[in-house]
Amino acid sequence: MALSPGLQNLKHIVVLMMENRSFDHMLGALKATDPLIDGLTGNESNPDLNGAEVKVKPEALFQSQLDPDPDHHFPGVDLQIFGGDTSDTRTANMQGFVKSYFQQRRDAKHAAKIMYYFTPDKLPVLTTLAQEFAVFNGWFSSIPGPTICNRAFAHYGTSFGKVGMDLFYVKEPFQSIYDRLVTATPKRTSKLYYFDQASSTMEIVNLLQHQSELFGTYDQFIADCNSGNLPQYSFVEPNYNDHDGDAGAIIASDQHPDHHVQEGERFIASVYNAIRDNPDLWKSTALLVVYDEHGGIYDHVPPPKCMPDGFVASPNDTGTGKEFRFDRLGVRVPAILISLWVLNGTVVKGAGEAGGRIFEHASIPATVTDFFLGDYDQRSPREKAADTFLDLLTLPTMRDDAPEFQLD
Amino acid sequence: MVVIRVPKTPANAMNPNRPISKLLRNQIEHLQEAEFRLPADKQTNIYINAIKTEGEAAEYIRQVTERIHSAAAPGKPKRKPAKTKTFKIAASAASKRKGKTKSKPKSRAKTKKKKR
Repeated sequence: MALSPGLQNLKHIVVLMMENRSFDHMLGALKATDPLIDGLTGNESNPDLNGAEVKVKPEALFQSQLDPDPDHHFPGVDLQIFGGDTSDTRTANMQGFVKSYFQQRRDAKHAAKIMYYFTPDKLPVLTTLAQEFAVFNGWFSSIPGPTICNRAFAHYGTSFGKVGMDLFYVKEPFQSIYDRLVTATPKRTSKLYYFDQASSTMEIVNLLQHQSELFGTYDQFIADCNSGNLPQYSFVEPNYNDHDGDAGAIIASDQHPDHHVQEGERFIASVYNAIRDNPDLWKSTALLVVYDEHGGIYDHVPPPKCMPDGFVASPNDTGTGKEFRFDRLGVRVPAILISLWVLNGTVVKGAGEAGGRIFEHASIPATVTDFFLGDYDQRSPREKAADTFLDLLTLPTMRDDAPEFQLD
Repeated sequence: MVVIRVPKTPANAMNPNRPISKLLRNQIEHLQEAEFRLPADKQTNIYINAIKTEGEAAEYIRQVTERIHSAAAPGKPKRKPAKTKTFKIAASAASKRKGKTKSKPKSRAKTKKKKR
């Protein structure tokens, strides 16, 4: 079958992975303007400890609201998804978010804030991109758990049996997407760009193995975009902490609570602008903006079951008293595919919708491998089963109406 | 074409004294594992349990990342890692040693001052 013009022109895939925000929290309000987006009606609720209804509210703030950091470790997420039901016949109902957050501060009023969501005017970058390009109704984190194991799926298509924050080691035969690319014949190009040396990377496993070879900083990303030297596959990490730099204060841009969400908006815009500002790069690049996991924040769509990845986490590792066979996805996260070859206003249907498609972080190495390497068998069962997303580059001709972001 | 203005983040969003999150704690622990693979004289000797704030975490992360890259750079002269610039991590391996009262960060700060 002939490739679409978008795929014929595609030379670069860039993934920007942000931190710890759920789909409904960031994009749920868009349902009011586009009913195809599987967001919030305003009537979604969770019970508090007394069974009283706590409704979603459009009152999310940029900072100082989700403190302490909402629980997003495996047992906490299990409570959030199943509402406290631990029976063998339980079904996911997304009714335990308030209960879970209450456990951290024992303050009912504060626990209700886990149901808060942003109005689109507060997130002009993310909501514009979602409406102007392709937004996924059904992109889920790979594991109902925290950052490291979820990011592992984006890099390896598996977390090698981990459901937590432990440092893990690569087990044969599964290589990282970067290894696959740079050891291929002919050699492909790939880099992880972290923000700067004081933020570094969450992909320590690769840092341990490859150090400089696979890594660059955000300044280098900008330079590579400007010079047209961007690798075929790039993974960009935001700034994970507040620190001083040569030019003064550098505010964390990862959007991890309690970091300021607006700085993350600016970071997303700057990645987009860096690609957009080079016309050759812009027409030959697909940019995926995605969040690693929901960060303990409410979403209304129950995560579906999925292909087990062949590993088993012990009851001790999960902390729930039950083993986990990696046969269920984590909570839904925002994901947007940006390209001049994507139809304006595309909404990719998700779980529970007719013709719906399910994506998760293993979709990233699955897509990149399919596109740049083709047949490649040494993948986890989960990655082999993962849906890929480049078929969304459907347009016969390139768009010329992409939005521009002007950073104050 | 739509032009979207993206407001500046308020300066008071910056808080390097914010207690570190579990995520940063884990990142530090993972980087320490990476640091332990370096030759002894390239290690920071920073006692990571003393790292309490984002600013301190950033300083440790910076030092270790620079040293890992410096140690790995093929054929390049080994660059001496930059001195502590902004945050003095509260404790170092030196302060762990019993009977030692003079902390390493303090002496480093003095050295830096003299050089200026």
